[in-house]
Amino acid sequence: MLSIEGLSASYDSIRVLKDVSIQVPRGKMVSIIGANGAGKSTLLKSISGLMKINKGRILYKEQNIAGLPAYRIVGLGISQVPEGRQLFAHLTVRDNIHLGAYHYYKKRNRPEIKERIDKVYQMFPILEKRSKQIAGTLSGGEQQMLAIARALMARPELLLLDEPSMGIAPLIVREIFDVIQQLNKSGTTVLLVEQNAKTALKVAHHSYVLENGKIVLEGLASELLDNPKVKEVYLGG
Amino acid sequence: MTDPFNCMPKICEGGVFAILTFLIQYRQMETITLESQLFQYLITGVTVGSTYAIVAIGFNIIYGVTEIINFAQGEFVMLGGLIMVSFHVALGLPLILAFLATVTLVTLVGMLLDRLAIRPIRRPSVLTLIIATIAASIIIKGAAMLIWGKDFFDLPAFSGRNPITVLGAVIQPQYLWVIGFLIIIVVILTIFFNKTIIGKAMSACADNADAASLAGINVKRMILLSFALSAGIGAVAGITVTPISLMEYDRGAMLAVKGFGAAVLGGLGSFPGAVIGGLIIGTIESFGTGLIHSGYKDAFALIVLMVVLFIKPSGLLGSVEISKFKRF
Repeated sequence: MLSIEGLSASYDSIRVLKDVSIQVPRGKMVSIIGANGAGKSTLLKSISGLMKINKGRILYKEQNIAGLPAYRIVGLGISQVPEGRQLFAHLTVRDNIHLGAYHYYKKRNRPEIKERIDKVYQMFPILEKRSKQIAGTLSGGEQQMLAIARALMARPELLLLDEPSMGIAPLIVREIFDVIQQLNKSGTTVLLVEQNAKTALKVAHHSYVLENGKIVLEGLASELLDNPKVKEVYLGG
Repeated sequence: MTDPFNCMPKICEGGVFAILTFLIQYRQMETITLESQLFQYLITGVTVGSTYAIVAIGFNIIYGVTEIINFAQGEFVMLGGLIMVSFHVALGLPLILAFLATVTLVTLVGMLLDRLAIRPIRRPSVLTLIIATIAASIIIKGAAMLIWGKDFFDLPAFSGRNPITVLGAVIQPQYLWVIGFLIIIVVILTIFFNKTIIGKAMSACADNADAASLAGINVKRMILLSFALSAGIGAVAGITVTPISLMEYDRGAMLAVKGFGAAVLGGLGSFPGAVIGGLIIGTIESFGTGLIHSGYKDAFALIVLMVVLFIKPSGLLGSVEISKFKRF
């Protein structure tokens, strides 16, 4: 579904991604693990269009989407849950969810939007209870749920998740990952970026290890879990 | 040295003048009681304050999307008044047609401001953008001086100049137009920002531009829209106030300062705050001019602004909770 070929990107003159190639097959969950600053977020931002790339191709359903603005890419079915949630902090939970559907927010789509809202409230019942609250006042875990809910409102076929476990209590992390796995089982393709390598390798089918902007290892997630090098560097020995 | 207050452009100098003339005429007819005089100040203050409120709302619209304080906001008001004079008086277009043409033209100027002064700036910080708006305001003022010269221009009042007397105070019908347009603008914008998805998308851009584009919102288009909207309502303020206070090319800067004072007093970003702030500043100015000294007219707004910044920087209606999220 998504195929990245020879991608390079840089901030100012510092190259953050060097010739990165990855494949995300339809219906699978792929994870990218790596240390802080390895270029994981930059990779996701390049796909979603927030970041300009220098070289390479990003093929989504056989179409090169590199260079398209972010607001167009979401319309093609790629939706990103950004690092650090990035909610519309002054708006209500409800408005955040509605704005997720902005790119197809038309009168004739109203029943579909209503249906999706019901669905995300079912996934995260706490959001329905908080629907009139200002998003910035939610707890960290609730904010992450809202960020995922907002991204799901864009009716993604490919969901990009950037560090969904960051700064969240372990119990809530498990709850969130349960939802992500369910989504994947019901057909949404997922590309997950995580520092928390153990979780990322447990839930994914296939994984890549990113180090200093380069892919250094790849394979079935279950195999990488047993890989001695991965064990030593990312799983704490 | 000249007195700095005298060389500053003065909003409503003409207005105060007109009122004084009325008062003098009125005094000749019957004696004025203190109550009727105070009521007169209040009415004048609310009218002038309505103009400030509209300018403050214009600040809030652009601030709400971009966190930029657009100091060219006052120029939209000035352009509204002067372009209306050209269309309605010089070209003789009928009132409604001239009104619509003026608002459209000023809206276009607002869009050009975004396209030419804001969008081309690479790696913008909020501060550089604010400085760009100050530069733009100077350019617009200069262009206006070349086009219309330095004269004051008058516009016929929308429904005549026969004053209505209420409780001993003299009310020009035009006052009601100014206040009425403020009410219309507030109602329309409230619905727009609270009920429509485009209005909410505009607020989302201010909160988090990257997240907004991830949701499919074209942030640049929203910024363009915010400039268009606030230029349009600025023009309405200029058109409605010109029959009361006349208009000249360099009125914009002082209007911007007072509108900014109103916006800060009410709480930057709050629409009800802008209205309350505008009315309070207009009223203080009117009472101050009447009861203390007209020479300090422009100082009152600045004093209010300073007091607010010292005591409650978040303004009357700006919540501390929300101001924590602000970047500027």
